[in-house]
Amino acid sequence: MRDDDERYFERLEDQLDDAFERAEAAREQGRDPKTEIEIPTARDMADRVENILGIPGVAERVRELEGQMSREEAALELVEDFVDGNVGDYDSREGKIEGAVRTAVALLTEGVVAAPIEGIDRAELLENDDGTEFVNVYYAGPIRSAGGTAQALSVLVADYARSLLGIEEFHARDDEIERYAEEIALYEKETGLQYTPKDKETKFIAEHMPIMLDGEATGDEEVSGFRDLERVDTNSARGGMCLVMAEGIALKAPKIQRYTRQLDEVDWPWLQDLIDGTYYDEGGDAADDEDAEDEEEAEAEDDEEETESEGPVRHEPATKYLRDLIAGRPVFSHPSESGGFRLRYGRARNHGFATAGVHPATMHLVDDFLATGTQIKTERPGKAAGIIPVDSIEGPTVRLANGDVRRIDDPEEALEIRNGVDEILDLGEYLVNFGEYVENNHPLSPASYAVEWWEQEFDDAGADVQALRDDPHVDLDDPGPRTALDWADRYDCPLHPEYTYLWHDISVAEYDALAAAAADGEIADDELRLPRSDDVQRALERLLVEHTATEETLVVPEYRPLLRSLGVTTELEREWTPADLSERARTWGADAAAKDEAVADGGMAVRDDSSDSVPTESAADTSRESPPLPGTNAIEAVNEIAPFTVRERAPTRIGNRMGRPEKSESRDLSPAVHTMFPIGEAGGSQRDVAKAATERTAAGRGQIEVSLGERECPNCGEHTYENRCPECETHTEPYYECDDCGVEVEPDESGRVVCPRCEWEVESPEERTIDLNSVYHDALENIGEREGSFSILKGVQGLMSANETPEPMEKGILRAKHDVSSFKDGTVRYDMTDLPVTSVRPEELDTTAAEFRRLGYETDIDGEPLEHDDQLVELKVQDIVLPDGAAEHMMRTADFVDDLLERFYGLEPFYEVEERDDLVGELVFGMAPHTSAAVVGRVVGFTSAAVGYAHPYFHAAKRRNCDGDEDCVMLLLDGLLNFSKEFLPDQRGGRMDAPLVMSSRIDPSEIDDEAHNMDIVRQYPKEFYEATLEMADPEEVEELIQIGEDTLGTDDEYHGFDHTHDTTDLALGPDLSAYKTLGDMETKMDAQLELSRKLRAVDQTDVAERVIENHFLPDLIGNLRAFSRQETRCLDCGEKYRRVPLTSDCRECGGRMTLTVHRGSVNKYMDIAVEAAEEYGCRDYTKQRLEVLERSLESIFENDKNKQSGIADFM
Amino acid sequence: MNAGNDPTPADELLTGEDGSGDPDVSTGAKNSENRQTESVSGVETEGSAGASAGEGGAADDGGTTADAESQPPTTADAIGDRSPPAPDIRNDVTGRSTGTGEYEEFVGTFQDRYERLSGLLRRRVNHRPAEAIQSMPGGSEAEMIGLVDDIRSTASGHWIVELEDTTGTFPCLIMKDRAFAPLVDDLLLDECLAVQGTLADDGGILFVDSLHFPDVPRTHKPNTADRHVQAALISDVHVGSQEFAQEAWDRFADWLHTPEAEAVEYLLIGGDMVEGVGVYPDQDEELDVVDIYEQYEAFSEQLKKVPGDMEIVMIPGNHDAVRLAEPQPAFTEELRDIMSAHDARFTGNPSTVTVEGVSVLMYHGVSLDEVIAELPEEKASYDHPHKAMYQLLKKRHVAPQYGGHTRVAPEEKDYLVIDEVPDVFHTGHVHKLGWGKYHNVLAVNSGCWQEQTAFQKSVNIDPDYGHAPILDLDTLDMTVRKFV
Repeated sequence: MRDDDERYFERLEDQLDDAFERAEAAREQGRDPKTEIEIPTARDMADRVENILGIPGVAERVRELEGQMSREEAALELVEDFVDGNVGDYDSREGKIEGAVRTAVALLTEGVVAAPIEGIDRAELLENDDGTEFVNVYYAGPIRSAGGTAQALSVLVADYARSLLGIEEFHARDDEIERYAEEIALYEKETGLQYTPKDKETKFIAEHMPIMLDGEATGDEEVSGFRDLERVDTNSARGGMCLVMAEGIALKAPKIQRYTRQLDEVDWPWLQDLIDGTYYDEGGDAADDEDAEDEEEAEAEDDEEETESEGPVRHEPATKYLRDLIAGRPVFSHPSESGGFRLRYGRARNHGFATAGVHPATMHLVDDFLATGTQIKTERPGKAAGIIPVDSIEGPTVRLANGDVRRIDDPEEALEIRNGVDEILDLGEYLVNFGEYVENNHPLSPASYAVEWWEQEFDDAGADVQALRDDPHVDLDDPGPRTALDWADRYDCPLHPEYTYLWHDISVAEYDALAAAAADGEIADDELRLPRSDDVQRALERLLVEHTATEETLVVPEYRPLLRSLGVTTELEREWTPADLSERARTWGADAAAKDEAVADGGMAVRDDSSDSVPTESAADTSRESPPLPGTNAIEAVNEIAPFTVRERAPTRIGNRMGRPEKSESRDLSPAVHTMFPIGEAGGSQRDVAKAATERTAAGRGQIEVSLGERECPNCGEHTYENRCPECETHTEPYYECDDCGVEVEPDESGRVVCPRCEWEVESPEERTIDLNSVYHDALENIGEREGSFSILKGVQGLMSANETPEPMEKGILRAKHDVSSFKDGTVRYDMTDLPVTSVRPEELDTTAAEFRRLGYETDIDGEPLEHDDQLVELKVQDIVLPDGAAEHMMRTADFVDDLLERFYGLEPFYEVEERDDLVGELVFGMAPHTSAAVVGRVVGFTSAAVGYAHPYFHAAKRRNCDGDEDCVMLLLDGLLNFSKEFLPDQRGGRMDAPLVMSSRIDPSEIDDEAHNMDIVRQYPKEFYEATLEMADPEEVEELIQIGEDTLGTDDEYHGFDHTHDTTDLALGPDLSAYKTLGDMETKMDAQLELSRKLRAVDQTDVAERVIENHFLPDLIGNLRAFSRQETRCLDCGEKYRRVPLTSDCRECGGRMTLTVHRGSVNKYMDIAVEAAEEYGCRDYTKQRLEVLERSLESIFENDKNKQSGIADFM
Repeated sequence: MNAGNDPTPADELLTGEDGSGDPDVSTGAKNSENRQTESVSGVETEGSAGASAGEGGAADDGGTTADAESQPPTTADAIGDRSPPAPDIRNDVTGRSTGTGEYEEFVGTFQDRYERLSGLLRRRVNHRPAEAIQSMPGGSEAEMIGLVDDIRSTASGHWIVELEDTTGTFPCLIMKDRAFAPLVDDLLLDECLAVQGTLADDGGILFVDSLHFPDVPRTHKPNTADRHVQAALISDVHVGSQEFAQEAWDRFADWLHTPEAEAVEYLLIGGDMVEGVGVYPDQDEELDVVDIYEQYEAFSEQLKKVPGDMEIVMIPGNHDAVRLAEPQPAFTEELRDIMSAHDARFTGNPSTVTVEGVSVLMYHGVSLDEVIAELPEEKASYDHPHKAMYQLLKKRHVAPQYGGHTRVAPEEKDYLVIDEVPDVFHTGHVHKLGWGKYHNVLAVNSGCWQEQTAFQKSVNIDPDYGHAPILDLDTLDMTVRKFV
């Protein structure tokens, strides 16, 4: 670690210490459930593991082992420690196994995710049929967050512990084996699995599994076959178990085998059969095998064909991302469709880690549906990505209503011309970084010819690129046409990309026709005028040649490179005929059949075939003499005709559609909670404390009956529900008394409270009547607030925690006053979409270079002293940028915390935030769902984009990537003061998304390794681009481009995150996606279809059809089904009935009943769907499905006898 | 008592035992035992199901069905001088669907169900309303009729059946060691039951001593035709599917033109004329005819192949282009116009169709899936679909359970109640052939005309396609003709 890194972390930790000091002073007053801060600091992974598990001694041992072996090996090594009792304080064998298994999972998930505590319920010893003991591990749903490898290893660890403890293997009964197979199939159907083993595979695993895998029921659907088994206590699918078996054992068998081989005590010889797939009975599934073989053969044949026929190198279009298209979320491009996004390689400074860069002009032109942080589902290389604005790539090309074709590289211009856009001919470039291909292990896609590649070729050809770059009269990125041609001629270098048109998008015949049209044109005012025809116009549009249009002519201002590429002189003499083209060029891109035909038929027939794209005149003129031109891709022809090399401008187009919109909003429970104080039904549905406090009940005004935990004062013995003894102000502790025998019980070391006599669990909560009115007014008085200082104070109906410990109401009053609300754990949170950024300008963050220098930034990315606000600075690893909304929310939280310190705890205020800038430099917690560890971050600035920009390693430390993931920030001192485990719901998953531990500094080796695959260079080498043309595997070129992984463990691990592309501002383009600003679903859907009409790369009928088929029809059908088997509900007491009661009125209270699914909710999309199907010409199948449904709705919701003429008449 | 095979369990307190010994007389496919009776139908068959329970021949695909292939069909127009009188149709919702989807209509439907089914049980027990029982002193004797609202087991393995009437609910405890306790496995929610028993000391629960179903009286005497005339009972034609069994259908249609089939004057079709559209995801990829109207046109073409002088009655099924919620009204006018061949009759699902005095309850059979899923294998299974039908007859309701598989459209009455005991109960839907008699009612599930689909293959269902059960209306004997 470098000195400045050390200084940075020390600085963060000093700030952390200051906050701790203040929080400790507050907490020790005993007003909170615990007298100490409940978010312990973890300096490293070992600390986190220990803190999350709560097993002392683990951290020390982990640190010992870490240097010597891999984490997996350490997990196995720890099994021995647990068994020997060196780690953990377990007497029982099942306890030792449980500890070892939890620790293994925690280690493999770096002590961040909640899986080790929430995903493993327990280990237990049960009896085999022969009377021997076996081990059962009981999983729960949250084991999902551990991932397959950790899941699989947890089983191995359990088995290793089993064998060390000398416990017998598990012998599954036949019905249990069958049950596993049925259950996994059920789970796949109900929830879905990444990998679903075949029944045989499942049974094979179940038969050989040396420990029993069991778990909690997670779904409603039940198995139909193997029910009511003695050793399986549910008929529903056990989700955790299914995941471990399918995505763990079955999918990760090779990985586990690596470790079983190292262990003498564990022997899983059957893994080999599992890996080889040789578990099939002989001949048993011959048919299946044959099928599989057939498929393989078929594939092999396909492959051969591909290699036989020479043609453009392309990926197969992938349509998966279009599945489940939703109304109001547009498709931007159909798979690999011409006119869609053009792949360009590079990493912008706000890029990488599952994001995609698009031009801000594009964001505006797609009617603002794309904004910074909007998630898209994409064709490749991954599945989804977060959108980031990059204005150093090419923008979209449009045809305006007057026929002009323009490329738009300026977002302002995009807004100006947006209303006049007739068609979006091209969406512009789409920046994807190399690391994305590494992470997804996706073969490289052929690269667009871009200036960063051309430059290297130019340099190799002998040009002094450095000198040209320094020459103020030369613009290497955008040279004039004559200069570009001159360079190509002089250096024998490929034509500059700016003048390289998309020749691969027009056919050879169109190329021929365009050359002919050029020869028929004229040059005037140094512009090329072509006779206007649909074919010529379409060809120019596909080539992305900018031009203007009049009635008669198409005018191309920059015509020289075009003419040269067309093989037409500036005197407009055509220098070639189709006969000059080679067979290869003439047939390039045509499929094999068309080529054969061309050879066999000698021309005429093929001419006819392509007549729709060939001007008939020229066809008639030349067909006698000319050879056929069936090629669909003119790039080879251009290269034969043009005097220089012309590279493919955009060989890879990437289809995508909108996924989730970006997010930036405060996290409020529903209804919002200001104070975690229970008021039962008294406050109405708003849970209004003031209302409840004044309500008259049988017991008196504001006297309400609620369940609250009982606590005892250790000093005076007073019993109360309050955290601080009302008599002597001593901190109280939960008090447990057995309901039956009245004995007082103490919790054991694992936190369980069991009555030693009655042997059942004892709880502290009890129903009691409290005087809410005085609680409320005392609280107001204590902090000197009046009711007028807030509009409403919302409580909760009841507490969900084990001990039902309430929060002092004063905290809630202050939250209400500052208009912030509390999450289930007592913290105030703000949610936002994650995006990465590695370098920033102080200016764009609404701050200054001076401020940055105060934060410890000294130089810009080139090592120059940081003096100007617009200098680019490499972001430090725990520094984050808040969206405006979060900043505003944090300011209110800071005011709340200060008020709390002053008025409730009687301490000095901490933040004293006057204006937004005061937040810069303050610490926050970042915290992701499904995890239990927070990461400390520091605010360095603000953005108008609705996202949280931070270093990719910061996001990875929270186990997030940036493909639309979202998580939250909390203000540091709010967490320290107000978080308590005592508030967490006492149910599965209750400890997820709660900061059980915090990481004060990020160790890049201990984060989600996906972030290590991000490339961190300034330029990709020429060899890389060349390799993409062969669709090489990313690993073949990994040597050429440095990625994060390469600097791990070195002094540079926190530095040198270079990028290839800059962007002017992190928040270009619209701040919010149109999806969020448009009103109802109908408006969104209209906008979606309107956009699909404008996009050349989108088939609007397909979009309409998909929305109807995948969204509206399932919704209609589902609601109709729900209607005809619905529950009913009492309007007065809320009681639900599976079926209407025969009494008609509510059986409980006699109240009025209502349906839960009404006509209005069933047919809400019917009219929109029918209209869209009609307007966008959906196929009959879709229309007829709608017709059938529409008639069903009529039949159910309309009275036959009220119709003018009914079917009855017909009868 | 033959408790093993008997749909009505062995308990002396039960009604409905008709003493037939073994009503499981004929099974679809599995039973190879083949006790034939002499055929009185005049059809040359190798075996037919006996008319009298206990002696019926078991139907085996190979053994008891006639193989049409061995009998070359005669020319289509050679035979036929049928002049069947028009069937009489009752309990048809078509044109009477008054529901508008309001809460009160749901209440009305279930109140009607309770009213009519409890009426069947009132002869057997002296019903006291739940409200009255609630205020009776502990230890009293009490009898109650109610819809099953809930079934749950106690920690000690007893059962609590919550019964509901129009005044409220009352819990009834069935001790696990009672002889009739296994009956609890047969119960479906929302069916109508009567119980007799004693209130617990605190009056909070009724200990059940006996349990009664509405059931079909064992004394039921079916009606028969006055003349020798037959009806073909078929279902699930699925025209438009790639698996439509065209050859089998053609053989069947051809056979109807032969002298042998002279007496077959009625064709009763139990739903699913076509494969439909949008019945399951991506169905269009598996359709032979994708257009729904063309599917009905194609069906009409198939129908034209049968003799024009037959009386044809059709109800819709879940693949048809009508509402899925039951009762389903008959096909719309637009579809009827397409299927105008032979002037067929269209009625709702379910409907009671009386031909030559014999009443046939036609119901498509969607509820069979649920009965089969909920009840023990020996009581209802896909291989023995008629046993599931026995359960429906016993419960006197074609689709008792609400809220699960079956969809309900609220109407002013519950059209799904089996008000009058039919002579024949005809269903389809599950694509399996099976028939047998329950308390003298002939229950027939008539297979299909669709070969195994990809889905069926994936769940290992082997459909019985290309069979036509031929019913003698004068004797209620049945023969299954096989056309594959």
